[in-house]
Amino acid sequence: MDVPWKKPGAKLPVLEGDKNMSKQTINFMLNSQKVSAQVESDSRLVDFLHEMGLTGTKLGCGEGDCGACTVIIDGQTANSCLVLAPQIDGKEVTTIEGLGSYEQLHPLQEAFIEEGAVQCGFCTPGMLLSAKALLDENSNPKREEIIRSISGNLCRCTGYTKIANAIEKVVRSKS
Amino acid sequence: MKKRGVGIGCMWYGIGNTGLPNPAGAFVDWKDDATVSLMVGAADIGQGSNTVLAQIVAEELGVGYEDVLVTSADTGVTPDGGATSASRQTYISGNAAHLAAQEAKKVVLEEAKEMFGVEKNQVIIRDRRVFVKGQEENYKSLEEVIGGCRRKGKMTIGHGWFNPDTTGLDGETGAGSPYDTYAFATQIVEVEVDTETGQVEVLQIIAAHDVGRAINPLQVEGQIEGGSTMGLGLALYEEVKVLDGKIKTPSFATYLIPTSMDVPTMHPLIVEEPAESGPFGAKGVGEPALIPTSAAIANAVFNAVGIRITELPITPEKVLDQLAENQ
Amino acid sequence: MQELNVVGKSVRRKDALDKVLGKSQYSGDIKLPGMLHVKVLRSPVAHALLKNIDCRAAESLPGVHAVLTAKDIPESNTHGIIIKDEPVLVMDKIRKIGDPLVVVAAETEEIALRALSLIEVEFEELPAVFDPEEAMKPEAPKVHDGGNIQSIRKIRKGDIEAAFAHADIVVETSYRTQMQEHAYIEPEAGVAYLDGDVVVLRVSTQNPHFDCKEVARNLALPLNKVRIVQAPTGGGFGGKLDISVQIYIALLAIRAKRPVRLVYTREESMLASTKRHPYVIKYKTAADKNGKLMAIDVIVIGDTGAYASYGPGTLTRSAVHATGPYEVPNVRVDAYTVYTNNPTAGACRGFGVPQLAFAHEQQMDMVAQRAGISPIQVRLLNALRPNSQTGTGQVLETGVGFVETIEVAQAKALEVLGRIC
Repeated sequence: MDVPWKKPGAKLPVLEGDKNMSKQTINFMLNSQKVSAQVESDSRLVDFLHEMGLTGTKLGCGEGDCGACTVIIDGQTANSCLVLAPQIDGKEVTTIEGLGSYEQLHPLQEAFIEEGAVQCGFCTPGMLLSAKALLDENSNPKREEIIRSISGNLCRCTGYTKIANAIEKVVRSKS
Repeated sequence: MKKRGVGIGCMWYGIGNTGLPNPAGAFVDWKDDATVSLMVGAADIGQGSNTVLAQIVAEELGVGYEDVLVTSADTGVTPDGGATSASRQTYISGNAAHLAAQEAKKVVLEEAKEMFGVEKNQVIIRDRRVFVKGQEENYKSLEEVIGGCRRKGKMTIGHGWFNPDTTGLDGETGAGSPYDTYAFATQIVEVEVDTETGQVEVLQIIAAHDVGRAINPLQVEGQIEGGSTMGLGLALYEEVKVLDGKIKTPSFATYLIPTSMDVPTMHPLIVEEPAESGPFGAKGVGEPALIPTSAAIANAVFNAVGIRITELPITPEKVLDQLAENQ
Repeated sequence: MQELNVVGKSVRRKDALDKVLGKSQYSGDIKLPGMLHVKVLRSPVAHALLKNIDCRAAESLPGVHAVLTAKDIPESNTHGIIIKDEPVLVMDKIRKIGDPLVVVAAETEEIALRALSLIEVEFEELPAVFDPEEAMKPEAPKVHDGGNIQSIRKIRKGDIEAAFAHADIVVETSYRTQMQEHAYIEPEAGVAYLDGDVVVLRVSTQNPHFDCKEVARNLALPLNKVRIVQAPTGGGFGGKLDISVQIYIALLAIRAKRPVRLVYTREESMLASTKRHPYVIKYKTAADKNGKLMAIDVIVIGDTGAYASYGPGTLTRSAVHATGPYEVPNVRVDAYTVYTNNPTAGACRGFGVPQLAFAHEQQMDMVAQRAGISPIQVRLLNALRPNSQTGTGQVLETGVGFVETIEVAQAKALEVLGRIC
């Protein structure tokens, strides 16, 4: 019988106590603060962030297809489900928790609320970070560039139009 | 060669469950400072029912939207709101919340009537002020009137429940009135068909939806845009491929939903033909937004290149096959 | 319409601030002290008799706190919104790939997964049926004892035969529509814990009060000892109306006496959740030479897969809406909900109406073409208006804004496309 968990070559999950488990220390900047942490060599960045209590980064697929777990690493967006925690050693990471606060929203956050770009909200943190990475690099993008910048972030609720509108609103208010 | 075409799709959609009871309940607690706690069973799954229900209650009670705090979908606290399905929460939970607010308001109006020495129907509550019709300058604050209730030991709470007026369907003929109200819509789309590759691109979607009354127009637009995008996926891209019962597309890499690059220019249009039984005339829009899109696209493909695709999704292979057959 | 103060205004969403800040705690974000992690062992075969499950090795794995099978469900072991035909955990018969067999709670997800790999399952495979039209034949393998035609919804109005006999235009077409995934970005998830003698769930759901009843019935608890709190939910579209994690986590929280969490992977979500019903639609329309509709005769076959879920409700809605938003004096519709060994189909945004719209709207265009009028004209000619009668004999007195939607859309089309249909 074809039982998937017994297929030849099927990878069994690694357990605590297994020989190949190792920990290492990493130092990095997280939302403008210095962090030093012990991480397991095969721990995904998204899980590591959640362990640190930063649950704003969402896990939608675990395969790099949906973009819900988007973070910014050294200015570039990345799917944190495909990045291993040790890989951020020496780097600068921005998550949704670093974008704004109740007291001071980032203009993108303000615009997402005003333009109706938020529905279920599960794609929202990743969308915001993709938009931020775009605007950090190009303060005056065209509509097509805005749309391309969020093409790796799936949204099932809004149909994207109001998200693009929100980003465009921030661009217009700056220029 | 690329050829453009325009197509139309229309729909109707009964709000609520089909010919079955599907009530929802709500509790309102109007507090000493005139702020409000609204407790509803309705689950807000992102469509925005908490917002819309707060608006309905705020409107009825003459307070601000920000004055209403919503607790929803907690079986330990809220009455049953039924499922968030059948595009029913604005209409059914909306009516329940409206009724709960009216019940709480009755107590306040009674007190105001005594304070002003007039008939109850002459009292108006607006912007947290209570006054007699035509004498707005001589107002009392809501806190003052609610305080009057408290001094007499009266609580300002209300409950409400609503079940749409329907009849079951006859088992043999299907005769009956399965819904109390219906939403309607027309979508017109423009497509471009590449006759070399069979690719269909949707350029514009015009979506006119009769929602009864748009409680929150921005959210209604959001439903229309999101729904027609899901309809676009249904029309062109999405298919769970199943072979001998096994799903062959169990990921977003193999099951493709529309991305930002696939979405055409959207023209959401709100038509308001009020439902007599709806809260302030509202019906529903969640599902209607998706329903006519694939039909309109199929008709537009015909308009562009003269082929009828009768199997969804409208893939390039099917378009090329039909084009070849037509020649 | 009367201008109002709050209604009709695009106020800010109640939840928008928490959502843009990443503060909303979805079920998968919740972490409770001592929380265990849950995984589900699912069937790799579509139709089989379950002979034996040996969990001994899994139970003795360090870090495993509970391994439960159908025998551990206190009562009922069924769920379903319309018909209770779906097991919480399979007792004797597997009906689809992905049917749940065993649930495990362990210290970590990794240990729970390792435990699943240690479970020995014996099956005896049965002939399966994957095509709904095949499934309707008497000789087809039976998915459920009562036969594969789960239900039929009929609409009958007027005299179909006479109408078709007198029609100038008859359009007859077969349509097929596909299985669609809801594809909410948040996979199903939930946590459960005990608060005194009340089991509390925070879960991604569209229907907490239904969940409460299903959990209570299967756990043999009074309704007020089960509290379901909907966590912020990352979309649903009909796919989070059925039971997903709820009964497993409630049961495991009680058995393990520890908080538990179950978060589906994307693959598990796609495997285990319901889908949009694939339809076969045979649609026949009769009209007079001017394009005025005289009759429709429609057969709809909906593949509901292994379990009914919202199937009968979906097909009923399809039958009622089969006319489209038009006045049709003579109507015959037969809508079949059919079991197969395919993934379960259930509620999906539109509830069987998008499939029918795909058919009736193409029929309308074909009628227009034959009558020599435009697609808009044929719709205006037949549109439901105030005091129109529907296919089920309901008279719509007010609140019928259909014609206005045509006019508004048409005006916009002229403006932005420079043409109409």
